[in-house]
Amino acid sequence: MSFVLGTTLLAVVTALACALPGVFVVLRKNSMLVDAISHAVLPGIVVGYFFAHNLDSPLLILGAALAGLIVVLGSEWLSRTGLLTGDASQGLIFPALFSGGVILVTLNFANVHLDTHAVLVGDLNLAAWEQLIIGGVSWGPVYLYVMLAVLLVNLAFLGLFYSKLKVTTFDAQFATSLGIRSGLLNTAFMFLVSVTVTAAFNAAGAILVIALVVVPAATAYLLSTRLPVMIALTAGIAVTGALAGFWVAYVLDAATSAGMSVFYGVVFSVVLVATRLRQRRHRNVREYAVASSP
Amino acid sequence: MTVTNIVHTAGAPIGTPASPDTALACSTQGLSVAYRAEPVLRSVDFAVPQGVVMGIVGPNGAGKSTLIKAMLGLVRPLTGASEFFGQPLARTRKRVGYMPQSTSVDWDFPTTVLDVVTMGTYGSLGWIRRPGKRERARAVAALEQTGIPDLASRQIGELSGGQRQRVFLARTLVQAPDLYFMDEPFQGIDAKSQQAIVSVLHTLREQGKTVVIVHHDLATVRDYCDHVTLLNRRVVASGPADESFTCENIRTAYEVTAGDDAFLEFAS
Repeated sequence: MSFVLGTTLLAVVTALACALPGVFVVLRKNSMLVDAISHAVLPGIVVGYFFAHNLDSPLLILGAALAGLIVVLGSEWLSRTGLLTGDASQGLIFPALFSGGVILVTLNFANVHLDTHAVLVGDLNLAAWEQLIIGGVSWGPVYLYVMLAVLLVNLAFLGLFYSKLKVTTFDAQFATSLGIRSGLLNTAFMFLVSVTVTAAFNAAGAILVIALVVVPAATAYLLSTRLPVMIALTAGIAVTGALAGFWVAYVLDAATSAGMSVFYGVVFSVVLVATRLRQRRHRNVREYAVASSP
Repeated sequence: MTVTNIVHTAGAPIGTPASPDTALACSTQGLSVAYRAEPVLRSVDFAVPQGVVMGIVGPNGAGKSTLIKAMLGLVRPLTGASEFFGQPLARTRKRVGYMPQSTSVDWDFPTTVLDVVTMGTYGSLGWIRRPGKRERARAVAALEQTGIPDLASRQIGELSGGQRQRVFLARTLVQAPDLYFMDEPFQGIDAKSQQAIVSVLHTLREQGKTVVIVHHDLATVRDYCDHVTLLNRRVVASGPADESFTCENIRTAYEVTAGDDAFLEFAS
């Protein structure tokens, strides 16, 4: 497989793996929690590297994802104490974890070779460097298969628990009254988001991964009145954005994750403006109809 | 209006209590709840006999919704325990239905009326199964019972306040419980929806079901409820409306001084 094809596929698979759980992240109004997770996993990644010596290791990904779960469960616990309001509890926990990670990186702990630039926005080309070679033939980047595995796990989880995710997202209290374990499902889902974010870290870094998770779903939300439609649109936008962003970045010789994020942002803005204009026209037509009726 | 009965499958036959204890649809003892340092309910004793429509009435902030949520385990009480048909909730969950306030959810959620009503069947589906034809048929029947079958494929954001309440009522009817908890079902609705909900209440009463309604409009309490609990962080009075819904008790619950009681004319 050629390097460009392999890296393009990597961009598409990463975009899909991030965007699909993003549907429920957006509907649960947890978008900024993803940002908190993506920062909090950094110390987990560095410490994990100390043990695994490989940034693609599944062990490292699971271990670092636990650090992401610290933010989720820790901020829920802090909120329950009633001492903090809104998402202040997230703001307390994730900068502490992230700065711990930054200090570890700059001290060159465990000889982890992460430069601060890659920590922030990732580097897809670097991530795609190590190729999977079987029988003398290149099968594309090793990292592509890591992200493919994450994508499959996400698909399996969302597919199996689709109904339960839907009802707990729409009306958690009602779901609990039905005997559904809303809290358990929420923790499992957030762990999955944490795993996804950790795995995508190499490609998108701590800051831009939120764009891959949230923006396609947020755009689809503006356009859909049915959940299956929203999921399909999210996937479509993610794939298109990955391809467009990758080629923009390739031509401009810029960071791929930045290219993808900018493209997502543009699509979101266009859709937002278009839906607002359409709403206004609808309202005008309706007002005209009301005004002109006898 | 024609009322289609949905098929009730869950639950034991009504009216054959094994012991005096099970003649109660639900009861709670010494229930106290606090939000942070603020006490909301203080040692509430509350019992609802089977087959009655019980109104929980009281001023804003009296803890009416909290009482229901604490009984159903949605809010963790500091003290106290609740029983349903003489058993803890975990054993009788299928016989208990909850209709939350309609303002508690995001109505822009990308889903249809039929979808939301079908959610009432999810409790019987296990972890993985998705609703099928049978579940959807039950949902359609419940929509007919609340008089809005024509709205089935609407996106929920397009509904009026009354239609939203009827969707939530239908979602609870789908569960076919024996005991209904309804949080402000008459909040912000039109006359037609009110009629539809009242007609469902009458049907449920005829079927021997038990209904607990959080209600705040004193003028209509007597129309809907045959039992009343006056609540203001503690139980002021509870029992058949004739005995509990009296001027004096209402005055106590609403902390109204004598002479200022023009609004007490509907009391017993």
